[in-house]
Amino acid sequence: MKITTRPTVILLSLSLAAALTGCSEQAAGGGDSAAAGGCKPADVKLVGQVRNESNPYEASWLTGGDEFAKTVGLTQQRLTYGGDSTKQQEQISQLLAGDTTCLVMNVLPNGDSDTAAIVKGADTAGAYLVTQWNKPADLKPADYKTWISHITYNGVESGRQIGDALATAIGGQGGIIALQGVLDTAAAKDRFAGLQESLKKNPGVELLDQQTANFSRAEARTVTQTLLTKHGDKVKGIWTANDDMALGALEALQQAGRAGQVAVVGIDAVPDAVKAVQDGSMTATVSSDGTWQGGIGLAIGFCVATGKLAVKDLPAANRAFFAEQFLVTKENAADFAQPKTNPSDFECGNVFKRVAGALT
Amino acid sequence: MFAVLSPRFRSIENVQNMVDAAAVLAVVTCGITFVLLMGSIDLSAAGVMGASALTVSLLVANNRNDNDLGLLGIGVAVLLGCAFGCLSGLALVLLKVPSFMATLGVSAVGLGVATLMFAGVQPNISDAMLKGWAIERFLGLSYLTWIAATCVLVGWLLQRYTRLGRYAFAIGGAEEVLALSGVRVKPYKVAVFAVAGAFYGLAGVMVTSQLGAGLVQAGSGYDFSAITAAVVGGTLLTGGRGGVLHSAVGVLLVVVLTNGLVQIGVSPYWQGGVEGLIVVAAVAAAVIPQRRRNQVVK
Repeated sequence: MKITTRPTVILLSLSLAAALTGCSEQAAGGGDSAAAGGCKPADVKLVGQVRNESNPYEASWLTGGDEFAKTVGLTQQRLTYGGDSTKQQEQISQLLAGDTTCLVMNVLPNGDSDTAAIVKGADTAGAYLVTQWNKPADLKPADYKTWISHITYNGVESGRQIGDALATAIGGQGGIIALQGVLDTAAAKDRFAGLQESLKKNPGVELLDQQTANFSRAEARTVTQTLLTKHGDKVKGIWTANDDMALGALEALQQAGRAGQVAVVGIDAVPDAVKAVQDGSMTATVSSDGTWQGGIGLAIGFCVATGKLAVKDLPAANRAFFAEQFLVTKENAADFAQPKTNPSDFECGNVFKRVAGALT
Repeated sequence: MFAVLSPRFRSIENVQNMVDAAAVLAVVTCGITFVLLMGSIDLSAAGVMGASALTVSLLVANNRNDNDLGLLGIGVAVLLGCAFGCLSGLALVLLKVPSFMATLGVSAVGLGVATLMFAGVQPNISDAMLKGWAIERFLGLSYLTWIAATCVLVGWLLQRYTRLGRYAFAIGGAEEVLALSGVRVKPYKVAVFAVAGAFYGLAGVMVTSQLGAGLVQAGSGYDFSAITAAVVGGTLLTGGRGGVLHSAVGVLLVVVLTNGLVQIGVSPYWQGGVEGLIVVAAVAAAVIPQRRRNQVVK
């Protein structure tokens, strides 16, 4: 028995080895063509990954991705990981275990610390990657071949923009209160720094109090209520680090019988906030244009994968950059009420049109 | 102490504000108290409240569909909470899952159901009555506060005058004795969880009224705050002691604490830590009398 099985095993393993080498040779060949960016448009596989679809902003990402995919006759694979870092990594490694030659990924990393593993995985597998919002400062796309770009937004600037809008709305004079986000996040810190810059520019505006409401609508409501009783009629305006808190503050104002007497500003341009800006109950918000974000990551990847752009030709300012953001006020709110994409934004010559500054 | 440090804290508006802020927490704590009395624990409040918030916001007049069921919608949401409570209770008595695990699981199910109903678009309510609960006032306090007061009263009556309430105490005190004396304990356990679930369901409705929208995260943080409030009020985690009125006092203490820290202007960077310390200190002070009798702390 033994004698007969051994040769079989050897034969089997030999043939397996042969098959395996065959496979890896094929894969290696595919990798070469990927580096040269010679994919046929129809072979490109588009993947958009965000935390969840129950958040209107992230849902608009995936919509944007779908719309881009339609313009090039493809479909986007929609992935959500429910804000769970482990799940995000699993999804990425599953993707990378498949055919990666013409894979394009537009990814929202869960947190700064999750980005490194995603980037390394994609680089080894030769998949094209665009990341947004979160990355550690010392991790740079310029050091990698297929991590094309990292896109983020300047929180200091958005904090200042709404701070200025608030100052104008209260006539440059009077007390305001500020609601901060989760205190140990970069977004909360930057946005609050922006408010402080704006306060320096507007000496008539006095910051009466600042509290955190952890980016949450419910907490913002309670904190606002408390601050309104503490400072009474001195409160002329409320600055909040995101729209959810702005909407919570609006509810608190309504319950205190002061709706319409206090100006409220936020950031993110979620649909309800844009509606509130439109009907005048909110003064301003800032939009990063989620549908554009969802489309642009795939568009950049698609252009590189099909050879219309080459990673090595891209200037440093296009590898990691702050994208343009928009102040939404009553005048232009209607444009943001129905988020839509402009197909020309996604043409290979235009994909870097919204670069507002290099991220260093 | 806060009254000395901040003149605003003493004002009538601030007292109104604090009582109003206590409303939802009071209802959740009422529910959780019954479970704690039995010596079990209930971590399902966040999920159940999320599910009920979404349910009610989709059943009353809203911007997502044409439903306009009014009070009936609110009733359905409370019943849903009750059903989730039943589920926890059944998992505990039939499958012998420890209560913290069973309720944590039910919480996750609740959040899942809520996310499914959320479906990417936040339902904003336009039902005048439900919105009015948070805005309109009677004798200076919002309707929600009166609802919470009613809940505390109902809770107290349940605890004091029904078999359910008295057995909850007895189960927490000595379950074996009760079982040996011929009482079938299991149905009462399930019923207690169901009652607690109904309270969470109502709390979810109240949050929806306050926020004007159905949020998946409507109940986040309430499970911890409610347990804290109950324990600070003198309801023991080991069961058998305390009660709804104790817990209601605990709720007021917790709310006074958070409100007071803001009023005297403690920096937000410090608040979380300070709040935690004060809670631990308060609980430690509350259990000092029991320390001799109850030497083991789990």
